[in-house]
Amino acid sequence: MRKWLLLAVLLCLLPNQATAHLVSTRFGELYSGILHPLTSLLHLVPWLALGLLGGTQNITTARWALLVFPLAVLTGLAFADGLPVPTFVQALNIASFIVIGLLLALKWELSKASFLSLVGLFGLTHGYANAAPELNGFDWLLYGLGVGLTAYVLITLVSASTQALVSDQGWRVIVVRAAGSWIAAAGVMYAGLWFTRP
Amino acid sequence: MRNNPQLPAIRLLMACLLMVVVTNAYAHAEVGVAGGLISGFLHPIFGLDHLVAMVAVGLWGAQLGRPAIWVLPITFPVVMAFGGLLGVVGLPLPLIEVGISISALVLGLMVAMALRPPLWVAGVLVAFFAIWHGHAHGTELPEAANPLAYAVGFVVSTGLLHLCGILLGILVAWPMGTWVVRFSGAGIAAVGVYFTGLNLFAAS
Repeated sequence: MRKWLLLAVLLCLLPNQATAHLVSTRFGELYSGILHPLTSLLHLVPWLALGLLGGTQNITTARWALLVFPLAVLTGLAFADGLPVPTFVQALNIASFIVIGLLLALKWELSKASFLSLVGLFGLTHGYANAAPELNGFDWLLYGLGVGLTAYVLITLVSASTQALVSDQGWRVIVVRAAGSWIAAAGVMYAGLWFTRP
Repeated sequence: MRNNPQLPAIRLLMACLLMVVVTNAYAHAEVGVAGGLISGFLHPIFGLDHLVAMVAVGLWGAQLGRPAIWVLPITFPVVMAFGGLLGVVGLPLPLIEVGISISALVLGLMVAMALRPPLWVAGVLVAFFAIWHGHAHGTELPEAANPLAYAVGFVVSTGLLHLCGILLGILVAWPMGTWVVRFSGAGIAAVGVYFTGLNLFAAS
C-alpha cells in the first residue's frame, strides 16, 4: 500500500504540459467549439433553461427540439462566418434568459409550433454569437461540429432528465419552476445593465 | 488489500494529491466569472439582515403551506430582479438599508405570530420587500468582475436561503416543530429590530 502512496506522491511531482494532445493535429478547433458555449454563462444558462423547458413540454414535442436546436445553432454559426455579433442578436440572447425563465416559472405548456419556433430562434441567435471572430483562419467546420455537439448533448441530457424528473407532478415540478424564476431574475438584471451600459 | 481499513483514507489522500497536478485552461471565453459568481453568491449571505429575511420568506411559505410554500420563493427572485433593475439604472430608493431590515422585522413577526393572511396579501408583502433587497444587490452589479455571473450567484444564493427556510419550516408538521419555527421567526424579528435601529440611527 505504501508503494502505491509513494507512487502517487511521485506522480504529483511531475506536473508537466502534455505535448501529445490532438490539438496539434487539427482537433483543437473541435475542443474550442465544445467548450465555447460551456465556458460562457451567456450561452450555458439559456441552453440549460431550454433543456429544462423541453423537459416540461409534451414528450413528442420535446424530441423534435433535439434535432431543431443543434441544427439552428449550426445554421446561426454558418451565417455568422466570424463576423462581429450585431446588437439585436445580443439582445435576443439576453432576452432568452427572461423568456425561457418565465415560461418555466409559469409552467407554460407551448404548442409544438411555438416551442419549436422558440428553440429555432434562440438556436440561431446563440449559434451566431458562438462564432468567435478570433477563429478566422482556423478550421470552422471542426469548430462548428464542436458547438453543435455541445448543443445536442446538452439539450438531450437536460431535456431527458427533466422529463424523468417532472413525471410525478410533485415537488420536482416546483424545483424546475423555481430554477426558471432564478434564470429569469438573473436575465432581467443583466438586461438592465446591458441596455443602460452596453 | 481490499479489507485494509485504511483504504478509504489512502484513496482520499491520493485524490487530494492528484489535484495538485493542475494545468491551465485555455478555452475560457469570459473573464471574471469565478470572481463575479462568488461575490454575487456571498452578497446575501454576508449581510445578516439580507440573510434572515430570505430565510423568513421560506419559513413563512412553509408555515402557510401549499401553494404559498412555492409561490413566495418563486415570487421573490423575480420581483427582486426588477428591484435590481432600478439599482442598475441608478434610480434611487429611499432608505434602502432601513427597508431591508424592516423586511426582516415584518417577515419575522409574521412567522412568530403564525399569521395567515390571504395568499395574495402574503405575495404582495414579499414582493414589496423583494424590491428593496434587489435594489441593494443591483447597485453593486455594474462594479462586479462579471455582472452576469454576479447576478446568477446572488439569485442562486437567495434561492438556497429560501430553501433553508422551507426545510426548517417543514418542522411545522410536528407540534413541537411549530414552536421551533415560531421562535425562529421571533429571532429573525429581533435581528430586524436591531438592524432597523442601527440603520435609522445611521441615517439620522
